[in-house]
Amino acid sequence: MTGQLIQSLVDALSAGATLGLAALSIGLVFGVIRLANFAQAEIITASAYCLIFTWQLGWFIAVPLSMLVAVAMSLLMEFAVFSRMRSANPATLLIASFGLSFLLQRVYELMFSNNVRTAPVASGLAQTVEFAGVRIQLLSVATITIAGLLLLGLHLFLSRTSMGLQLKAAAADFRTARLVGIPAGRVIALSFALSGILAAAVAFVLTVQSGAVGPTFGVQITILALVGAVIGGIDKISGSLAGGFLVGFVTSLLATWLPQEMSNFKDAYVFVLVIGVLLFRPSGLLIKGRGVART
Amino acid sequence: MTTSPRGLWYRLGPIWSLVSLLAIVYVVTLINSFLGESVQVQLQYALVNLIIVVALQIFIGTSGVLSFGHVAFVAVGAWTVGLLTIDPELKRNLLPDLFPFLFDLNAPWLVAVVIGGVVGGLLALVVSPVLMRLNGLQAGIATFALLGVVNQVLTYWSSVGPRSGQSMVGIPDVLNLQTTMLFAMAAIVAAWLFQRTRPSRLLRAAREDGIAAASSGINVVSQRIIVFAVSGIVAGVAGGLFALTNRVVQSSQLNIELTFVTLAMLVLGGMLSLSGAVIGTLVFSLVDVLLVRMQNGLEIGAYVVSVPQGARAIILGLILVGMLLFRPSGITGGREFVWPFRSDRPLPGMPPTNES
Amino acid sequence: MSIDDNASIDDDASIVDDARSGSGQRGRGLRVEGLEVAYGGVPAVRGIDLEVKAGEAVGLIGPNGAGKSSTLLGIMGAVARSGRVLVKGEDLAGFPPEKVVRRGVALVPEGRHVFAELSVADNLRLGAVARRDRTGYSEAMEHVLTLFPMLRDFGHRQAGLLSGGQQQQLAIGRALMSDPDILLLDEPSLGLSPTAVDTVFEALDVIRAAGKAVLVVEQRAEFTIAFCDRTFVLHDGEITLTLSPEDAEKVDVLTKAYFG
Ligand SMILES: Nc1ncnc2c1ncn2[C@@H]1O[C@H](COP(=O)(O)OP(=O)(O)OP(=O)(O)O)[C@@H](O)[C@H]1O
Ligand SMILES: [Mg+2]
Repeated sequence: MTGQLIQSLVDALSAGATLGLAALSIGLVFGVIRLANFAQAEIITASAYCLIFTWQLGWFIAVPLSMLVAVAMSLLMEFAVFSRMRSANPATLLIASFGLSFLLQRVYELMFSNNVRTAPVASGLAQTVEFAGVRIQLLSVATITIAGLLLLGLHLFLSRTSMGLQLKAAAADFRTARLVGIPAGRVIALSFALSGILAAAVAFVLTVQSGAVGPTFGVQITILALVGAVIGGIDKISGSLAGGFLVGFVTSLLATWLPQEMSNFKDAYVFVLVIGVLLFRPSGLLIKGRGVART
Repeated sequence: MTTSPRGLWYRLGPIWSLVSLLAIVYVVTLINSFLGESVQVQLQYALVNLIIVVALQIFIGTSGVLSFGHVAFVAVGAWTVGLLTIDPELKRNLLPDLFPFLFDLNAPWLVAVVIGGVVGGLLALVVSPVLMRLNGLQAGIATFALLGVVNQVLTYWSSVGPRSGQSMVGIPDVLNLQTTMLFAMAAIVAAWLFQRTRPSRLLRAAREDGIAAASSGINVVSQRIIVFAVSGIVAGVAGGLFALTNRVVQSSQLNIELTFVTLAMLVLGGMLSLSGAVIGTLVFSLVDVLLVRMQNGLEIGAYVVSVPQGARAIILGLILVGMLLFRPSGITGGREFVWPFRSDRPLPGMPPTNES
Repeated sequence: MSIDDNASIDDDASIVDDARSGSGQRGRGLRVEGLEVAYGGVPAVRGIDLEVKAGEAVGLIGPNGAGKSSTLLGIMGAVARSGRVLVKGEDLAGFPPEKVVRRGVALVPEGRHVFAELSVADNLRLGAVARRDRTGYSEAMEHVLTLFPMLRDFGHRQAGLLSGGQQQQLAIGRALMSDPDILLLDEPSLGLSPTAVDTVFEALDVIRAAGKAVLVVEQRAEFTIAFCDRTFVLHDGEITLTLSPEDAEKVDVLTKAYFG
């Protein structure tokens, strides 16, 4: 029983970490330009396709390449679409990203067909190890490690470098940041690039998990990430991260512990929870007071 | 345009815009009914979508709040009509887990559609005290969450529908194109009339100027609840008609994709006017019909125009994204359409959309 | 104290003269000609001309909604504007804020807007983002910390935890970190206690004496008129009155300034 408990906790931590990263990748961009980018899903998908197609060349090629693809796509979206919509409100931006997401999915369908593509990406991680009577998925441990390292790196970047500081300032108060002399285009591009790196990490974890990628690969996690970011407080970088983590953690635990006939409804419980949170803390769990969200 | 502000056309403007919209729907239906079976089928779906988009417009256009959740009302409307019109014998066999009382519950299709609307409206009413407090992105996410909940419940709860993964079949073939068109026209008339009621006007005023509305004592939340419920009724009716058109209902058809397509139609036409809803849907559907034809090679005179398989959705997506980039206020720019005169007078309490 | 990395050496020589005589397009001051700002077609500033020379403080007063903030934001390029904004003879029309800052103009925004979650030191660091040089940075920091000694003690504290007056000092310090020739301040006395206001204006005096051009928007008419070398009264987006320090005591002038 305790073994099972620990096992489910590790799995939930890993699910939370993945979703936390995904939510963070959305929150980073939102903080700066008020865009909740639904098309983050297609960045994840592109990066995952890249992993699948290039895995046989070796991980040391496939992984950097998949990151490159994610960053490039992220920047491309910014320059081709979102940079032209600076004065639009968040709702319009969300719809635009929705449209972009739909569009790219169809492009993937045309390019790679509707069927999933498979490859044994990092199949070594798909094993289960037994440790003191507790069976633990190697991938869960790897996910938690990857997320931890990325967050540490991001934290150091944001707090120790000038560019990071500028990004933090822009995310907190974009208008003032510009007035102080922080170049808008550069921090926005930076936020998209970082968001791309996080998306690549999410893509890696998910691809190892499933080994199969289709045109709508990134959609499910992006929806949950968006939801998580909003309930955590998408206005704050830490809010998105925490909200994403929470949703992933809770969903995973519900999936494990709810009886079969109820676990079908696990997403429904999470969504009800979401509505509840939004009702009492409309600006997010981590944001003090009501209605401070600048949306 | 030479008429004075008090001129006849000016005063007739609003009614005239309604008449033009109805005429457009009529003419489009008439033309298409000569174009063969497959186009007629597509048109019938387009008219059902039109009603969904009108429902969306009633809420989004009036309140300025985004909703990703209206398809939930469509879904319960479709479910209701499915449950009420499938032959009881068939129901017993196909949907064995239903609550017993549902087995013998049966209604003529028209009544069923009306009940579908009521159920849609009731669901909207029940959730609205919670949802209508929210704004902006939060409202978008919460309505989306509503869709998620409803969709999961309909997918997995076999006491009110098919077992998961299965669909509801055996819905009678009773709805023809003309009747669907009449429903679409009725929805347009209803929306037009509703625009002229107090809740709708107050809410438009509040949308424009939140602070002024609050200080003049308008209770935005309660007005929004009314508007949300009304749009829920319209969406529920649309769901019923969808069930009768498609004759098979499955929860996966009533989810994100439909939400996206109908929102795209509304954005294309322009969210802030009823004309936007109508014209957006018709244009989107027309382009869709053409593209489907082109995928199979469309003959125009001696030429064959064709696009590769799968390009259809991409082109539709490009149109939407392009619209948002270059004309975010949609084809109509948020104005009501008055044919053949261009009305430069926006609806009362409805400013020209900001150019941004 | 002024470290001007952009100006070439022969420019530097002439700058002193310009500052004295205060004349000419090439001076280090600010000249605004026909500035207009509108929001969604509704005009907020309707063609303002004003000049602030180096070593001079100019005030801008007027009732709520007169367009004072809009004027400053227009100069900064933070809102859409038309007209000419001349700095060192260069027209900054069409420049985004980050470029305007790099031309030597800095704004202390209305309501301070310090980065509340960042430390005091980080706020000051961010003020120096627009600097091109590395050498001037520590000097500017030293200068700011001399001007506002309080900031030295609170370097690691979160800016949001400072008192209103301290935040105002930080906001001014942050603006000074880019070593601007022209300092714009939007209601620096807003919500401050009398002693805090004194601290702020003493600092402004030092800044002015150091040869910077200071343009300060204020609500406290009497105080501003007395402090500034010239004060413009703004009404409905237009300058309706120009006052000199002697006018500070004339009650009728003050009333006129406010109720036009
Ligand atoms: N972002 C904006 N959008 C629309 N109108 C605005 C905006 N900012 C200011 N205005 C309008 O422009 C006019 C001038 O505003 P501004 O903020 O410049 O006044 P002000 O003189 O600074 O007033 P106060 O003393 O209250 O700070 C006002 O009528 C205001 O309503
Ligand atoms: Mg002001």
